[in-house]
Amino acid sequence: MDKKQKKSEKRSISYAKWGYIFIIPFFIVYAIFTLYPQILTVYNSFFEYYRDGLNVIGPNFVGLGNYAKLFTPNLSGYIPIVKYTINTFILWVLGAVPQFVIAMLLALFFTSTRLNIKGQQFFKTVIYMPNLIMASAFSMLFFAMFSKVGPVNQIIMASGWADEAIDFLAMKVTVRSLIALMNFLMWFGNTTILLMAGIQGIDESLFESARLDGSSSTQVFFHITMPLLMPIFIYVFITSMIGGIQMFDVPQVLTNGIGTPNNTSMTLIMYLNTFLGISKNYGMAGAVSVLLFIMTAILSTFVFKTISKK
Amino acid sequence: MKKLLSALLAVLMVISLAACTKPVDPEPTPAEEGKVFNLWTWNDEFWGFLVKYYADEKIDDFTVKKGDVTIKRTTYVSDNMAYQDALDAALLAQETAAADDKVDMFLAEADYIIKYVDSSVTMDVKSIGVTDFSNTYKYTVQAATDSKGVVKGVSFQCCPAALIYRRSIAKAVLGTDDPAEVQAKLNSWDAFDAVAAQAKELGYNMIATPMDTYRVFSNNVTSAWVENGKLVFDANIQAWMEQAEKYVAEGYAANASGVWDAEKTNEMFATGKSMCFFGPAWYFNFCMGNAQDPEKGCYGDWAICQGPQAHFWGGTWMLAATGTDNPTMVADIMNTFINNADVCEKLVRDEAQFSNNQVVNNKLAADATYGNAFLGGQNDVAIFAELAKNIKMEHVTPYDQGCNEGLQKYFQEFLKGEVDKDTALANFKDFIKTAYPSITVE
Repeated sequence: MDKKQKKSEKRSISYAKWGYIFIIPFFIVYAIFTLYPQILTVYNSFFEYYRDGLNVIGPNFVGLGNYAKLFTPNLSGYIPIVKYTINTFILWVLGAVPQFVIAMLLALFFTSTRLNIKGQQFFKTVIYMPNLIMASAFSMLFFAMFSKVGPVNQIIMASGWADEAIDFLAMKVTVRSLIALMNFLMWFGNTTILLMAGIQGIDESLFESARLDGSSSTQVFFHITMPLLMPIFIYVFITSMIGGIQMFDVPQVLTNGIGTPNNTSMTLIMYLNTFLGISKNYGMAGAVSVLLFIMTAILSTFVFKTISKK
Repeated sequence: MKKLLSALLAVLMVISLAACTKPVDPEPTPAEEGKVFNLWTWNDEFWGFLVKYYADEKIDDFTVKKGDVTIKRTTYVSDNMAYQDALDAALLAQETAAADDKVDMFLAEADYIIKYVDSSVTMDVKSIGVTDFSNTYKYTVQAATDSKGVVKGVSFQCCPAALIYRRSIAKAVLGTDDPAEVQAKLNSWDAFDAVAAQAKELGYNMIATPMDTYRVFSNNVTSAWVENGKLVFDANIQAWMEQAEKYVAEGYAANASGVWDAEKTNEMFATGKSMCFFGPAWYFNFCMGNAQDPEKGCYGDWAICQGPQAHFWGGTWMLAATGTDNPTMVADIMNTFINNADVCEKLVRDEAQFSNNQVVNNKLAADATYGNAFLGGQNDVAIFAELAKNIKMEHVTPYDQGCNEGLQKYFQEFLKGEVDKDTALANFKDFIKTAYPSITVE
C-alpha cells in the first residue's frame, strides 16, 4: 500500500516535469524572437537613433522626445499618426464588413443540413485560394490590371463605357476600394472556414429541436447559431482587427509606397516603414510601434469586453 | 562552463592571430585570393557585359566562372531604396562576414555614389592596381573621388544625355528630321515651348511625360538639394515644376506618368504620339524596348540631338569594397572596362553604350562607316562625344535619390489633379522630413 502510493506520487511528479520540458522550446523561441525584440523596441523608442548615409547617429537618450515629435502637426497641418490611424481603420472596415457578412453567409450555407450543398471540398478550396498568393504579388497584379493602360481600362474603353482611360490608382475612392477588395478576396475564405468550424461545433440536436418547434431560419440564426458561435466570432473579429492595424503590403505596393492620393491610403505600418526604410530610424519607428501596441491592446480588450457581455 | 568559455576564447585568439599574420606574408601569391567573387548590383545591365566580355563560362543567370574563381551576383531592385538598404547592411557586416560572403565589388549610381565614396566602406583603387585614368572622362573619376582626393572606383560608361526624337514626327512638325536642323529649332527652352505648341496643333505631344525633362533641369542646378543641412529648392527645380504644370495643362505632354511606367513606355510604340524623349546611350538599349519591338515598334525612326540644355543621366560606377578578398580581380575588371580598347569598342558597337574610353569613342565618332541602326544610321557617338565635354558633376548630396524620386512622385499627384500644388509640395517636404531626420525642412 505504502509502496504503491509512493510510486504514483513519483509518476505524477515526473509527468508534470515532462509537461514543462515540452513547452520549453516555445518559450525559448518566444523569448528570443518575440519578447526580446519587443523590449528592445520599447527601449529604442526613448532614443535618437538613426543612420545618416552610412554614419550611425546615436543612440542618444531623448526621453519622450520621439513621442512628442509623433504628435506634432506636420507641414500640411495635420498630425500624421492620427490621419494614418483613421486611414487604416477605414481601409480595414471597408474590407472587413463585407468579409464577415459574406463569410457568415457562406459558412451557414455550407453547414446547413437542409441545403446539403454538394462539392463542398471544391468550393472551400477555391475560396481559400486567394490567400495562398503572396499579398505583394496580388497587389502587383492589381496594379498592372488597373493601371491606365492595363486590361481593365482596355475592356472599359473597348466596350465604350468611358471615352478616356480611368486612372484607378490616382483617385481616393478607387484606391481605397481596390485595397479593401484585395483584403476581402484574400481573407473571406479563411474566415468562412473558421466560422464553419465554429458552427459545426454546435450540437446538431439544438437546430433540430428548434426546427421541430417551428422557428424560422432567422430565429435559429439569432437565437442559437450566433450566441453559441460567439467565442469563435470574437476570435475571428479580433484577429481580423489586428491584421487590419498591421495592413502594409497591399497598399504599399499598390500606391508605390506613398499612399496616393494625398496620403489617403497611407497606413500606420507604411508610415513606420518610411522611418525605417531609408534612415533606419529605430527611435521614431520604435515610438510608432509602441503606440501601435498600446492601440491594439486597448481595442482588443474593448472588443472582447463588449461582445462577450451580450 | 568557465573552462569551455576560456577554451573558446583561446581558440578564437589563435584564429584571429593567424588571420592577422596572413597579410604580413612577404610573398602574397594570387592563389591566396578568394575563390568566390561577390558582385552587388540593382539590375542585370553590367552583369550582361561582364558575362560577355570578361567571364569564361556562364553557369546560370547569377553565376559565372573566370579561371577558377566563381563570380556571383547579388541583386536587389533600387525601388524604394531596397538596393541600398540591403547593400548597407552587407557592407556594415563586412568585417565579420566569411571571406566567401564578403562583398568584393558593388555598383552605385550617380544619385547616391557620394554616400559610398565618402565612406570607409570603399577602398583606394590605385592601391590595388587601377592607375591609368587618362582615357576616361574626367567627371567619372571626380564622381568616384572622396573629399581627400582618393579614387574609390571607376565607371564603365559615360552618360551624356541627348534629346531623342521620333524622325517621322519631327518631319511632320518641323519639316525635317536632320539632327542639325532639329537641334537648331530646339536649342533653348523657349524654342522648345514654341515647337510644343506647334506639335499640339498637329495632334502630337512634345513629350510623353514631364518626368522625362526632370533630369535636364536637375542636372543644371546651381545649388545642392541640401545646403547647410537645409532642404533647398533650386531655381532650376522650380523651373521644372512650372514647365511640368504648363505642359500637362496645355496637353503638350501625353500624360503625367512616372519615368518607368507602362503608360509612358507605350508612347514609344509606333502608335505613340510623343516626339521627344531624353536619355543617354544606355537608354536606347535598356529602356526603349517598345520602340524596338519587331511588330509594334518603330526601329530606325529615331535620332538624337543635344536639346535645350546639356545634361547627363545616371551612370553606373564599380566601387571596390573595403575588405575584399579578391583585390586583383577587382582591379582586373575595372581595367578591362576602362582601358581594354577592344572591350570598350564592343560596348559601343554591340551594346549601344557610350564607353568611358575617350580614345575608342573619338575613333568611332570620326568613323564615317559607323552608324547606329536604331537611330536610322546616325553616328550617335559623335554627338555624345561632343556632349560629354560639358558634363559637370556638381552639387551632389547623399540625399539626391530620395529627393529626386520623392519630388517626382509627390508632384505627380498635383499634375494628375489629385491635390493642389501647395499640398503636393508640403507632402514632399513631410516625406523628406520623415525619411531623413538630419535634414531641416521648412
